[in-house]
Amino acid sequence: MQAFGSGRSRRRREDPRLLTGGGRFVDDAAPAGALHAAFLRSPVAHARIAALDVRACRAMPGVALALTAQDVRAAGFDGAIGAARIATATGPGAAPRRPWLAEDRVRFVGEAVAMVLAETLQQAHDAIEAIELETEDLPVSMLNAPGGPAIHDEASGNLAFDWSIGDPDATKAAFAAAAHVVEAEIAQPRIMAASLEPRGAIAEWNGGALRLDYNGQGVWGVQRKLAAAFRLQPEMVRVTTPDVGGGFGMKAFTYPEHYALALGARLAGRPARWMSGRGEAMLSDNGARALVSRAAMAFDADHRLMAYRVETDSDLGAYNGENAQFIQSELFAKVLTGVYDVPAAHLRVRGVYTNAAPVDAYRGAGRPEAQYVLERTMGLAARRLGVDPADLRRRNFIRRFPHRTPTGETYDVGDFPRVLDGALAASGGFEARRAAAEARGLRLGRGLAFYIESILGDPVEGARVVFEEGGTVALHVGTQSNGQGHETAYAGFLADHLALPDGAIRIVQGDSALIPKGGGTGGSRSMTAQGTATLAAARAVIEGFEAFLAELEGAETAFDGERFRTAGSNRAPDMLEAAAMARAAGREDLLDLWREGRLPARSFPNGCHVAEVEIDPETGLTRVSRYDVIDDFGNMVNPMLVEGQVHGGVAQGIGQAIGEFAAHDGDGQLLTASFMDYAMPRAHDVPPISFGTRPTPCPANPLGIKGCGEAGTVGALAAMANAVTDALAPWGIETLQMPFTPQRVWNAIQGAGRAAAG
Amino acid sequence: MYAFDIERPTSLADAKALLAGEAQALGGGQTLIPTLKQRLADPGTLVCLSGIAEMKGVTSGPDGVAIGGGTTHAEAAEGLKDAIPGLAYLASRIGDPAVRNRGTIGGSLANDDPSACWPAGALGLGATIVTDAREIAADDFFQGMFTTALEDGEIVTAVRFPVPEASAYSKMIQPASRFPLVAAFVARFPDGVRVAITGASEDGVFRWREAEGALSADFSPEVVTGQPEGPMIADLHGTADYRRHLCAVMTRRAVRAALDGTGGLSSAGA
Repeated sequence: MQAFGSGRSRRRREDPRLLTGGGRFVDDAAPAGALHAAFLRSPVAHARIAALDVRACRAMPGVALALTAQDVRAAGFDGAIGAARIATATGPGAAPRRPWLAEDRVRFVGEAVAMVLAETLQQAHDAIEAIELETEDLPVSMLNAPGGPAIHDEASGNLAFDWSIGDPDATKAAFAAAAHVVEAEIAQPRIMAASLEPRGAIAEWNGGALRLDYNGQGVWGVQRKLAAAFRLQPEMVRVTTPDVGGGFGMKAFTYPEHYALALGARLAGRPARWMSGRGEAMLSDNGARALVSRAAMAFDADHRLMAYRVETDSDLGAYNGENAQFIQSELFAKVLTGVYDVPAAHLRVRGVYTNAAPVDAYRGAGRPEAQYVLERTMGLAARRLGVDPADLRRRNFIRRFPHRTPTGETYDVGDFPRVLDGALAASGGFEARRAAAEARGLRLGRGLAFYIESILGDPVEGARVVFEEGGTVALHVGTQSNGQGHETAYAGFLADHLALPDGAIRIVQGDSALIPKGGGTGGSRSMTAQGTATLAAARAVIEGFEAFLAELEGAETAFDGERFRTAGSNRAPDMLEAAAMARAAGREDLLDLWREGRLPARSFPNGCHVAEVEIDPETGLTRVSRYDVIDDFGNMVNPMLVEGQVHGGVAQGIGQAIGEFAAHDGDGQLLTASFMDYAMPRAHDVPPISFGTRPTPCPANPLGIKGCGEAGTVGALAAMANAVTDALAPWGIETLQMPFTPQRVWNAIQGAGRAAAG
Repeated sequence: MYAFDIERPTSLADAKALLAGEAQALGGGQTLIPTLKQRLADPGTLVCLSGIAEMKGVTSGPDGVAIGGGTTHAEAAEGLKDAIPGLAYLASRIGDPAVRNRGTIGGSLANDDPSACWPAGALGLGATIVTDAREIAADDFFQGMFTTALEDGEIVTAVRFPVPEASAYSKMIQPASRFPLVAAFVARFPDGVRVAITGASEDGVFRWREAEGALSADFSPEVVTGQPEGPMIADLHGTADYRRHLCAVMTRRAVRAALDGTGGLSSAGA
């Protein structure tokens, strides 16, 4: 049952501010007189610390403090970051100690070893150079498979976990009985989030209370962790977020710098600020993806899927990211079998430590990876079986709902054939375009990918509506915009439900002192969770005013969507007038309401992406020439913002497909440590993206919405890969690995030519 | 970045005097500033050349076109449009608008990055590099990666280009930096064809003499066969074999663009 359809598109009201320099980011927010922090980072990937001497550093001009792991211990703190551990058949995943500042060993290039606080940034950097660090190299393991040189005593063979889900016996039996088996090895290299604004924070103590202003994706989890780290009551820690310039999951977690900065500010007795440089970000931000999967599909003689099997090695980097053990395992498993009716499935994942920066969530977190493996294998299957890729998918679609998947998820609703039909119609005319490309010496390829994703995060969210004196309304939310346009979406949503002018509404986010709890932003949860809570608060506001006005008028009063109408009365106040009447009557209780909403179940956005790429065989250059998307997001609160999320998500997917790649040498040195070598996508790399919807409203929330923040990326990777392999089909190339850089494509064509000739 | 002092002379004479000591000249800063930011250089004093009026602008005369050493890529692109469209194309596709409006021709030539665009234009056209002390033929100026005939403190004040019958630049970009992975500048003069390749060789920009010979006899893409000899750069973005192959591809495409009169081609788009 849906109470509402889709809303209307509203232009982003935050953009004039953000685009004209009016944003207030963490580096804009530091108090005068704050000390500047700089970090000494490990120059080597794996070594024993033989000596760490900060005496000369402490004597440098302007230095207020130099902090090492020894100082952390001397201050009486344990000084390590925890991580959630996955449950496996043989116990929880490994929990190697991850210190704020390196203790006896360094385990990746860029690991924080010491922190300096100084009067100026210049002095802090100068002082860092005065630290004497002596290391004795240890063997480096960059092997994404168990068994390399040992990195942690707590993880034998560098194995963090060995986790499985599904029915191995049924899967094995289905493979044994299959008419066709298709196997592929599919790699997803390590990439970087590269948010426009790097990480940063300001720490300040007032008496025994800590304030951390940082650029992240939510404040309450950080509040809890800081309170635990410094043995404080949570209310003694206030965490706030100013404007945030991109998060993508990378900013969803705490990092060593947050704790070191907080402790440094305490020991120095002064506020302290830190802003990561770009090179520093590339070395120390959580990395992304970094896995290799071996996938297999079993088909019967009619090309129906009988079973699906995936074995993955997941590179976790040198330490557990806070949520890392779950990404390529449980989150991947949520959509393991995608939109297909597969009777049996099995996923086995091994998490492996390597001497590189930790890997954690990045836009989609496990679901793009799962859909990439599934849809590439599906594309390969269509080719091997000699059937049309759309027909093979259509034949295997789930058609009845609710549908319980082999990994235990329950898909609530969907209409995959209709979405597929929409995508095929939107992308028609391919053969004519291919012929035109051939005439220019270019090879056109088309790639289809059907994705489904599962919304994650806290299903509970709260919303507080405050009618302020002067006629404004504050909406306090528990999510955190990183640039998505929440302010526009939420203000428009509340404006529609309370018949208020958009401009009267002010969005308050990111302050643990003002907002008692919240789930933050991640997993595409914001609109579903926050919308549900806001709707509950809006309804409570209306009911409160209706009862108040009914009492005042002595007759039943109802809100008609614009005004409160009372039978037999000429007075028909609008929302702000009703609020003023309540205030005049001393009914403050009606002017400040908090309500919580809980999503009873998850939603499953899905859609079909069709990418077309033009490959220049002479240079290997791959250009995305066309991109069509049909999604089922259920209802949409602001279709323009949704489309923007899809554009951004697809661009991020295209970037990963054609260029992004974090490369290390055998010694663990990052080779792509600046944008001179790490290839971010540019506007020129992304074609116009057509976007349409075929909604089946979600029954699991009163708005019928499904979530859209990660979907573009989830669909884009496999569509791109399938398009590239389609273009390269004449050379017999089946499973070229990302990224499809010019050199890699050209090499593949050369190799195929040699193979044909030889 | 280490602390430094900056001087902003308004005449070449003042700049020369300031550079007599340990100071470092600063052109558009497109290489030097990132280097400073990474604390890979500590020059003490920078002498900014961008305020020297006599080193700016594009002038056309009977002997060709002269571009002041302090002229930005964007100004050069605009000033060259009619005189040498192929060179205008080269200038108009360097980096991005921010780079083109800060970076200068003199800075680029003095730095001689093996993947820079201007060295290909200068060598491909047989330009004359004019300094505060002398004139140097392009064939003598480039002496290997980041190595030129310039003495310490010598300033590129202008570059003189002869006007060819036809010229064009074809560039395959490195996906991250957007510098040329390999690019070719081809220029046809009444007495022969010159071909300069940047981005490819470990010796920096070079003339591909075999291609010049073939094109001088028949200025058409089909005659560009084979590949240049010599050690090629091999890195994350291109093996030596790939770069060697691209030398021929980019040369053929430049010839085609010269014949079409389009000025050039870039894999970074129009």
